Amino acid sequence: MAAILEAKAVKFTYPDGTQALKGVTLDIPEGKKIAVLGSNGAGKSTLFLHFNGILRPQEGDIYFAGTKLSYNHNALKKLRQHVGIVFQDPDSMLFSASVLQEISFGPLNLGLDRGQVLSRVQKAMEATGITNLKDKPTHFLSYGQKKRVAIASVLAMEPEVIIFDEPTAYLDPKSIKEIIALLETINQQDKTIVLSTHDVDIAYSWADYTYVLAQGQVIGKGKPEEVFQNASLLETADLTRPWILDVYEGLKKKGWLPVTAPVPKNKAELLELIPCKSN
Amino acid sequence: MFTIDQYAYTNRLRVIHPGEKMAFALITLLIALIAPNLVIPAIIIFLMAGITIGVARIPVRFYLKLFLVPFSFLIAGIAMIALIITTQSLAVTKGITFLGWTIGVTPASIQLAGKIFCKSLGAVSCLYFLSLTTPMTEIISVLRKLHVPALLVDLISLNYRFIFVLLSTVDDIYTAQASRLGYVSLRTSYYSLGHLAVNLFIKTYKRSRELFVALTSRGYNEELKFLEVNYPFSWLFLFLAAGLDLALISLTIISWR
Ligand SMILES: Nc1ncnc2c1ncn2[C@@H]1O[C@H](COP(=O)(O)OP(=O)(O)OP(=O)(O)O)[C@@H](O)[C@H]1O
Ligand SMILES: [Mg+2]
Repeated sequence: MAAILEAKAVKFTYPDGTQALKGVTLDIPEGKKIAVLGSNGAGKSTLFLHFNGILRPQEGDIYFAGTKLSYNHNALKKLRQHVGIVFQDPDSMLFSASVLQEISFGPLNLGLDRGQVLSRVQKAMEATGITNLKDKPTHFLSYGQKKRVAIASVLAMEPEVIIFDEPTAYLDPKSIKEIIALLETINQQDKTIVLSTHDVDIAYSWADYTYVLAQGQVIGKGKPEEVFQNASLLETADLTRPWILDVYEGLKKKGWLPVTAPVPKNKAELLELIPCKSN
Repeated sequence: MFTIDQYAYTNRLRVIHPGEKMAFALITLLIALIAPNLVIPAIIIFLMAGITIGVARIPVRFYLKLFLVPFSFLIAGIAMIALIITTQSLAVTKGITFLGWTIGVTPASIQLAGKIFCKSLGAVSCLYFLSLTTPMTEIISVLRKLHVPALLVDLISLNYRFIFVLLSTVDDIYTAQASRLGYVSLRTSYYSLGHLAVNLFIKTYKRSRELFVALTSRGYNEELKFLEVNYPFSWLFLFLAAGLDLALISLTIISWR
């Protein structure tokens, strides 16, 4: 699968001297679900800002669809049509007075006409379940609602790659489920999804491929089954093992499962593996 | 501020075209300002209060409280106009004389003070009518349709949003300080308040930077574009408003002659 976004040896230091990225190389395969893991301050958000052309690498390069990013006005405009970011803090994204206007901002910047914009806004609101909030001013929304509006505002631009910076942080369990389901739907429309998260269970069950970042470097990558079975990697990255794997290992050790049992990807698969008592 | 905004979104006149409400409020305000006597502004105060409370259904208590805000400023200002200090003891002046100076009022000064008082409150009642019945978003979109320069309209709408961001930041910081006993004594209060002010500045600066980044990522190009909602014209409101304003204008013209 061709890479739609690539970072090659990207280094970035903030003006105050913090070295946030120390030579990051990774690629985002088209149409896949990618999880980027890493403890607080590992450099995830900084990396994401590079993928949208907001930060420019001091060394190294970013590639979109095989071409090196140039940072002139038109190239950036084009990049941002194809790559959308939902930021970590929805409050930093929302600026307009009503939900409808907020979501219409991006599509209007794409130069679409009124009818097209309206239908896209409607679609995005339906997908995120916020149609009933349409006329509400953004400052009366709850945190979870703001998060949904932020997601809808990027969805409405219909980019090919959508980057979610911690989409499930601070949400209640029901909303987390809905957001994950939404990510699944978006992915089925052939869109590439990149997300950062601290929730190893979500990353394990959801992702096709994972990257692990620590202190501005990629210290691990691979399919979630591989990454999460690598105990020393998890240790260095301050990550815990997903509970599904813990239970799976435990069952194997105590003889409930054969050593050859396939690694379960989610709860349903795990339950399927566990044999009935009469056997 | 929050409450005003909330009423603007929930009042009974919400469905009326914002342009109609704006025109009505501004024309009436203009009449209040050019009226030569205090009767017309007084009528306007009652008219606007009646519509805001009776038709838009804003609670009386809240409305009166809101009026207290300009009231106290006004009283102070009016007193300075009504009072006259002079060395010439005129027959019409009523007041106390002390060492040849007289502090007091004349019928003319009272008349003037009363006129200014009524005109100011009349103007305030028009603005309150507008801000309690029309959400800021709609006022902004009317301004945009009137081809007010985009830069100005963008500034107004960002300001509007940032007022709430600021308020909630102040609220957050204050709560965080108070919960750790930041305001138990006068000394700690001064200290905490100072920190609040500094932090507010830094946080707001950071917020606006973040906002700019987020806007850029969504293709911001020196103009904030929004989808406007189309409201149907309400002929009934238009006729009533026009009728009232015409009556007020004829009153003004009559009293001029
Ligand atoms: N605007 C900034 N100025 C200076 N340093 C910054 C700035 N933003 C981030 N940093 C620093 O860069 C490093 C990486 O930050 P980044 O926000 O990318 O981490 P992250 O992986 O997204 O963390 P989190 O999980 O907490 O969101 C941190 O050490 C942080 O302190
Ligand atoms: Mg982050």
